[in-house]
Amino acid sequence: MESQIHKIHQQLVNKEISCTALVQEKLELLKQNTHNTVNSLLDTKALELAQKVDAKIANGEEIGLLEGIPFGIKDVYMVQGTYTTASSDLLKKYKSSYTATAIQKLLDAGAIPLVKENCDSFGHGSSSENTIFGAVKNAVNPNLVGGGSSGGSAVNVAKDYTVFSIGGDTGGSIRQPAGYNNVYGLKPTYGRISRYGIMAYASSTDCVGPIAKSIEDIRIVLNVMSGKDVKDQTTYASETISEEAVLNADEIKTVGYFKNFIENDAIDAQVKADFLASIEKIKAKGIEVKELDFFESDTLVSTYYTLAMAETASNLSRLDGTNYGNRIEGDNLKDTYSITRSDNFSEETKRRIVGGNQVLSQGFSDEIYLKGLNLRDQISENFEKDFKEVAIILSPVTPQTPPKIGDSLKDPLAMYLSDAYTVGFSLGQLPTLTIPKGTETGLQITAAKNNDELVLKFANFLKDTI
Amino acid sequence: MSKMMTVDVLSSIKGAKESETVSKLFDVIKNANTSNNNSFNINHKNAVSLDDLREDVVVDSPQIEKDIIKENFPKQKNGFLVVSKVIEE
Repeated sequence: MESQIHKIHQQLVNKEISCTALVQEKLELLKQNTHNTVNSLLDTKALELAQKVDAKIANGEEIGLLEGIPFGIKDVYMVQGTYTTASSDLLKKYKSSYTATAIQKLLDAGAIPLVKENCDSFGHGSSSENTIFGAVKNAVNPNLVGGGSSGGSAVNVAKDYTVFSIGGDTGGSIRQPAGYNNVYGLKPTYGRISRYGIMAYASSTDCVGPIAKSIEDIRIVLNVMSGKDVKDQTTYASETISEEAVLNADEIKTVGYFKNFIENDAIDAQVKADFLASIEKIKAKGIEVKELDFFESDTLVSTYYTLAMAETASNLSRLDGTNYGNRIEGDNLKDTYSITRSDNFSEETKRRIVGGNQVLSQGFSDEIYLKGLNLRDQISENFEKDFKEVAIILSPVTPQTPPKIGDSLKDPLAMYLSDAYTVGFSLGQLPTLTIPKGTETGLQITAAKNNDELVLKFANFLKDTI
Repeated sequence: MSKMMTVDVLSSIKGAKESETVSKLFDVIKNANTSNNNSFNINHKNAVSLDDLREDVVVDSPQIEKDIIKENFPKQKNGFLVVSKVIEE
């Protein structure tokens, strides 16, 4: 199978390239920061690790598959001793005191971290413009947004600045930028990878996931990061997915898609035509395709944002400048809290915190928050029903192509609605992969909970089908 | 605590006001049909079994972790970590 990781591994083992030269080359590219993808470079540590890999190879020692492979990390992950800013003013000088479980597993496997990557502040955004480090530019057309919130990570992979990057997906933040930059991006089943050490946005949908240029690389990185972790008690033990398992998709006989995603006015005519053409190609391979009923886009988006805002209001209440962060002193403690938060949070973050506190407050919680939870349950029940009829659900990643830089900030409602196709799968906690095929912003492949393997199988099947 | 707290106080954000954009999202929820089965949390089976709880032990942090935590503290004076004055209301 095509794989950048396997290819580089072979080149290292065969001594065609040195790890130091490889890391230096990537660091040089990142240093130019042409697409505003870099929040901080981990150059000293990266070069030190690369030299160790070279020494091992020179000594004739065996190296692991990920050993010496350079990767990027969205700047919401704790990596001990590195700046972890969440692209915010509040944390612009904050240093992680410990390392996230998912990242630690990659470090233990020998992968080399190069960069903390630009993103929407605290994951609040769909364009990577809500950041103090400058809007991330799209890898294909730099006048367009890089997508978000893991925009820097997707662009770095697309431009080959990193071999893979680790993003975070709460409502589409890996899948949408992957689609906007023509790479693969996986949101695994909720709980497959530990969230310990990722800055919490909305804890009930936050997922750690890989962005890469091939299905095989997604598989390799997913396997390394997966597993139960006592530090995140929502994690579960999962089976390793083998390379052979991904090669055979014969068991997939029926695929579904949501009729109302396609038959509405909000979808771009070309995206619609391309999606339907992809469906025809799948049918031509003898797979039955069923049209499914689903919730309206505005219900999905509203349910997601109601719950995500409530959770982020709660999660971000700890950011008050007392123990860490850019504290701005006021007359007393409460004054210090509110000045620190007012001056350091972006408009979008404040909008979400205020919205969250609104729905959690007396008089609103029954009418909005609890109703939102009820809707989420209905959405999950709907998925359970669907996966009794079909093995895979296929959808476009976004209704429209990437907007120009500057447009999303002017119209937050349009930005929220642009998440229409991704948020439902987040609420359902389902494994969903973006593949750079089918429409200009790719296709999403979704399976039932814990069935991440089936998603990769179908992705591999589609690679040769469309 | 019978007084109504406004969103700016709840959020600790000066001058914060409810957003029209966000209100539009909430209106959709208000007008949506909900099921009557009151089955909240059927989706959220993330609770941990009693047999699976992690051990209740104190783990000492490595020195580097302690040092970074101190380094992150916004204000220090004569070796003490300084917080804002707490007032009684």
